[in-house]
Amino acid sequence: MTEADQIKTFKDFLVQYNKLSELCFNDCIHDFTSRNLRPSEDKCTVNCMEKYLRTNQRVSQRFHEFQMVANENMLALAQKSGNPS
Amino acid sequence: MAVPLLDPAKLQLVQELEIEMMSDMYNRLVSACHRKCIPVKYHEPELGKGESVCLDRCVAKYLDVHERIGKKLSNMSQGEAEADLTKINLQDKK
Repeated sequence: MTEADQIKTFKDFLVQYNKLSELCFNDCIHDFTSRNLRPSEDKCTVNCMEKYLRTNQRVSQRFHEFQMVANENMLALAQKSGNPS
Repeated sequence: MAVPLLDPAKLQLVQELEIEMMSDMYNRLVSACHRKCIPVKYHEPELGKGESVCLDRCVAKYLDVHERIGKKLSNMSQGEAEADLTKINLQDKK
């Protein structure tokens, strides 16, 4: 992995981190009568984060499955048109 | 889609663009399916059964739509290119 790739990965991670904070803040925090996080809010944000990561994991699995099928189809098509037997 | 000039620098640029586009598409896919399948009540950290099934279907549908729109778009641009060609041919005949 080159340095440029590592920087890109780190940047992607930071973007993801910001997105997750925004999402879970918006979904979990509605009450501003206290400056401290309430236990229920804390639980909600932690669950929100874990659930998002699991969602990402599952979507990634399905995405790769589709990707594999599409690649196989492309390969088969290329072979078919390459040597018409 | 046909790449007209195959010099290595341009090819690499096209490939990088393709990867970038793919990861952008993936990020949008995750956001869209999370928004549509996961209710904002975060009572537990695990994915529920219904949520999991929804995510699976959501991914399949999203990619289906992506493919359909891609085909439509390339048909449209192909149609335009052909229309341009016939236009040029007509002008040549005059």
